[in-house]
Amino acid sequence: MTSRHTPSGALSDTTDVPRHPVTATPFTQSYWDATRDRRLLVQYCADVDRYQYFALPTNLYTSHERAQWREAEPVGELFSYTITERAPRPFRGHEPYAVAVVTLDIGVRVMSNLIHCERPDIRIGMRLRGHWLPNPDGTNLLMFEPAESKSA
Amino acid sequence: MALHDSVITAFAETEIVSRSERDVWELQAEVMEQLLASSGVEKDEVDGLVMASSMTGNATPFWAQSSAEMLGLEVDFCEQVHIGGCGPVGAVARAAMAIDAGLCETVLLINADTQVREDNMGVRSFLTEWANPYGLMGPPGAFGLLTSRYQHQYGLDYAALGKLAVTQRDHALLNDLACDKLRKPLTVEEYLQSRMISDPIRLLDCVRVCDGANGLLVTSRRRAVAKQVDRFVVPIGYAERTNYRARDPLPDVTDTGHRVVGATALRQAGLEPGDIKSFHPYDDFLLAILLQLEMFGFCEPGQGSRFIRETDFHFDGDLPLNTSGGQISAGQAGLAGGGTNLVEAVRQLFGQAGARQVADTSNALVTGIGWIGFARNWGTSAALVLTPDS
Repeated sequence: MTSRHTPSGALSDTTDVPRHPVTATPFTQSYWDATRDRRLLVQYCADVDRYQYFALPTNLYTSHERAQWREAEPVGELFSYTITERAPRPFRGHEPYAVAVVTLDIGVRVMSNLIHCERPDIRIGMRLRGHWLPNPDGTNLLMFEPAESKSA
Repeated sequence: MALHDSVITAFAETEIVSRSERDVWELQAEVMEQLLASSGVEKDEVDGLVMASSMTGNATPFWAQSSAEMLGLEVDFCEQVHIGGCGPVGAVARAAMAIDAGLCETVLLINADTQVREDNMGVRSFLTEWANPYGLMGPPGAFGLLTSRYQHQYGLDYAALGKLAVTQRDHALLNDLACDKLRKPLTVEEYLQSRMISDPIRLLDCVRVCDGANGLLVTSRRRAVAKQVDRFVVPIGYAERTNYRARDPLPDVTDTGHRVVGATALRQAGLEPGDIKSFHPYDDFLLAILLQLEMFGFCEPGQGSRFIRETDFHFDGDLPLNTSGGQISAGQAGLAGGGTNLVEAVRQLFGQAGARQVADTSNALVTGIGWIGFARNWGTSAALVLTPDS
């Protein structure tokens, strides 16, 4: 088997990327508002005791009950990742950086950036925790770093 | 009545080019003229029009209707197929349904896109809030995530993906309509050395975006027989699934909708995977071919690399695959691209594939993939089983 292409090289934390501002939609507003206080809100269905992500205009699981926002800890494990070598704008010039899918302990998958991590240290299954990146508009973007990271 | 009471009596295809000098409507007109000329059908016999979506056509919600006006068609069934890249394959089922319902009897299926010349793609989806802020690099990024997970679960031999790329290039060299930029031989080493886009997705894992058009003429078997059409192709199995595992928050992303649509379409056709004589899978990425080999049951899940190593996919090999080069090596004509492998399958069953003609034309399996959703594999999966008339 040929192995995965894993050259060494520092990954960008993407903190300086001039990201396009995200406009919340009416049914996602609560998510973005909570990020201003660095809180992760995820929709929850009590009927089936499951969470759903990303924010939807309806209960994913059943039509009998409305989903409710619940606060969740942004902790979980790495499900998959890809290292962007040729980026879309506005990420051009910030390659390489890691895009990750994280399985949160509450049972949903989240797409994010994996930061504070060197390429050779990335392992699917590694424990991760959230790291909030401030947006210019006062909201925060949820990123993920290794759970054992020493950061503020 | 049933799916197989409708038949395909003609196929058509323009050259696939890296950038069209002609307008998308000129490409549609070329396809229509080819279909009418090769079938002998007169324009005033045409009473149905089904079109795949189009990046160029995305500028208007009136795409099929305004195309009908441009082409001078007056129809009793006018349809645009909204399942992404599955559009051309799905169009066959929709034409058959309309014929079955008695709405029409002679249907032009025309797929045209000039995505390079004129891209009117818009984004209104989860991407804006839940993927773009993290710099996901479009479909290659999504497939990077998928490939990474597949490799973790099963291991992945990239040289096997390279073998698929090499085989499809060999087929493109036999296809005068393939994009000339891609009609060059390739080695597995060149594939492995091609630059990374979104690791582990390389440039040569991906399609080249092109312009082009293709189409089919579908009519009732009754009418084809009455007109003494000497040969036609019959759809004997079709299934599609959109948003497979929609309400499972933690699915196995290597498990795709082709598992269920393959089982259904093959059962309708009375065939097992081992009975398939040529395979024409939608190939936006090489990994998609590997996953479909597993999902249709050509091999077990996780065994795709080994199966590819052990199988000759040339037109004269064990399992002919995408014998005109696939979208990977003929070029992806935008949202018409799903018609490239479909038209080739029909061409093969008509016995008109010339230097790349497969020996056994008793059936062909064509697939579709359409749209990419959030952190899984793809949105719509389709499968279509074809046989020549018996």
